[in-house]
Amino acid sequence: MIRALIVLSALTLVALCTGATTITPLQVWHLLLAHNPQDFVVWSHRFPRSLTGILIGAALGVAGALVQGVIRNPLASPDILGVTQGAGLAVAFVLLVFPGVGYLPFFSLLGGAAGAALLMAYNAGIFSPVRFALSGVAVSATFAGVTQFLLLTHPVEVNTALLSLTGSLWARGWPHLGLLLPLIPLMMVAMTLAKPLDVIALGEDTAHALGTRLRLVRWAAITMAVMLTAISVSVAGPVGFVGLVAPHLARRLVGGGHLRLLPTAGMLGAAILLAADTLGRGIAPPAEIPAGVLTAVIGAPYFLWLLFRTR
Amino acid sequence: MQLNLGLVFGLCLAASSALADPITVNDGTHEVTLPDTPHRIVALEFSFVDALASVDVSPVGVADDNDPARIPDEVRDIVGDWTSVGTRPQPSIEAIAALHPDLIIADLDRHSAVYDAFSAIAPTLLLPSRGEDYEGSLRSAALIGKAVDKQSQMQARLEQHRASMADYARRIPDGATMIFGAAREDSFSLHGPDSYDGSVLQSLGINVPEVRAQGGASDFVSLEQLLGLDPDYLLVGHYRRPSIIDTWNGDELWSILKASDGRVISVDPNVWARNRGIMAAEKIAADTLAVLDGSFEQID
Repeated sequence: MIRALIVLSALTLVALCTGATTITPLQVWHLLLAHNPQDFVVWSHRFPRSLTGILIGAALGVAGALVQGVIRNPLASPDILGVTQGAGLAVAFVLLVFPGVGYLPFFSLLGGAAGAALLMAYNAGIFSPVRFALSGVAVSATFAGVTQFLLLTHPVEVNTALLSLTGSLWARGWPHLGLLLPLIPLMMVAMTLAKPLDVIALGEDTAHALGTRLRLVRWAAITMAVMLTAISVSVAGPVGFVGLVAPHLARRLVGGGHLRLLPTAGMLGAAILLAADTLGRGIAPPAEIPAGVLTAVIGAPYFLWLLFRTR
Repeated sequence: MQLNLGLVFGLCLAASSALADPITVNDGTHEVTLPDTPHRIVALEFSFVDALASVDVSPVGVADDNDPARIPDEVRDIVGDWTSVGTRPQPSIEAIAALHPDLIIADLDRHSAVYDAFSAIAPTLLLPSRGEDYEGSLRSAALIGKAVDKQSQMQARLEQHRASMADYARRIPDGATMIFGAAREDSFSLHGPDSYDGSVLQSLGINVPEVRAQGGASDFVSLEQLLGLDPDYLLVGHYRRPSIIDTWNGDELWSILKASDGRVISVDPNVWARNRGIMAAEKIAADTLAVLDGSFEQID
């Protein structure tokens, strides 16, 4: 856990230093303390953008750990649940069909919940990990397809929508950070689920015998994961695979105890997204490679490897 | 006393030059005030570079998609080198900030969602470029002329432009049907009468068929839909080679196309699709005249 925290802090420093202009760590420190509006690059751009990335990455990591804990399936993650693409579709729909309608995270939440509900309904009763993962991929692909259709049929408004759908932190700043604030209490509340999740990990029958209210915990964890993911998607768009990879890495580092697993998954999620964004900004400035593209480049092979291993 | 008067006079002079000519431009969405004539300008669309070049102003930064060659030689010859600030859809905010600009010209369509980030760096004009028609691009050019304090020079350039376009229009016979399309590997997008190049062609007396009722400035079409329009001349900008047009070329249906007997012309997509503006329109007019009198040299 400490190691994860160190990695995250180091990455934050790197994120603040790199970009189109490179700044030394000492200068960054002075600029952060001064936080004057004249200093655009660090205070108004890199710092809020990095904070946005940290919050979103952490939320996705925690959401992934919650889902994997409650479904007890290494393939489970918010992406696979259809939550990410469902939220993305809802965001695209609101932006394209009813532009200017209110608070985006709310609609994102509705879309994410709809995606999760669809998948849970389809998999009610019988439960096979591979069936679950494959139907999740199918649901996600369907949502992504409808989103593409909306983009194609609304060519005029497409740019605003694309900005929210690329899975990137480009041009995200202080105003977006405000939208993400609910993530912090949500992640704290998620920690209360650590104990019951540990018990579920012992097997459903044991959990039942130990007096865990299985249905309640399951609902609470999934609801929490949906909220964390959907709020993230409403700001950064669908960033894939962070919610899948971060909990796996965390389990390797700190084991399966959720009291340590949840925060570690959060920190690693933050580190992954931050690293992806920093790479995207710093690899060939002034080109901006969306963070979502880089997380997919790393995450997709990882998913395939997992799928291969579970067969 | 004498000295004091001199001092007062000097101070007044200093004050008046320090406060010299704040320029106020209303871009349609914002009222932008520039404290002084801008000298470090960042342009985030090609048409803005065209407008700046038309009054001999060089931008320090351009969102050139990391490929300066996308901007026509005529424009580059005037403005010289610039620093790339990345792609037009997602320019690097840091690279823009690093240039310490005193004016940013952004595209209403592409960049309105991130206006706040740009205006935190420098006064930002949000002008229509992408999806804009011919007259609209000239209006944007006039506003840019005002913003860089070269209003009268821009007016003169616009009048000269209108005269030369009128001259092209006189030399171009009326009534031919012509349409431009952008070809990628897997799609063909036709630019209708509401598009930039479509509206330039119409101003020259060319008929540009409407691609579909209530369509956009450009619409994706299939080979059959293209046959339905059947223009006299089909101008193709190949974004990639081999493009979908190269594939269609081998199709039975292709030979039914009226233009397929040598009037499918390969043109420069940078001129016909990516660039808009004063010089861009003149290049389109010159190309059109050359296509119609048979002297046009096709692009590979």
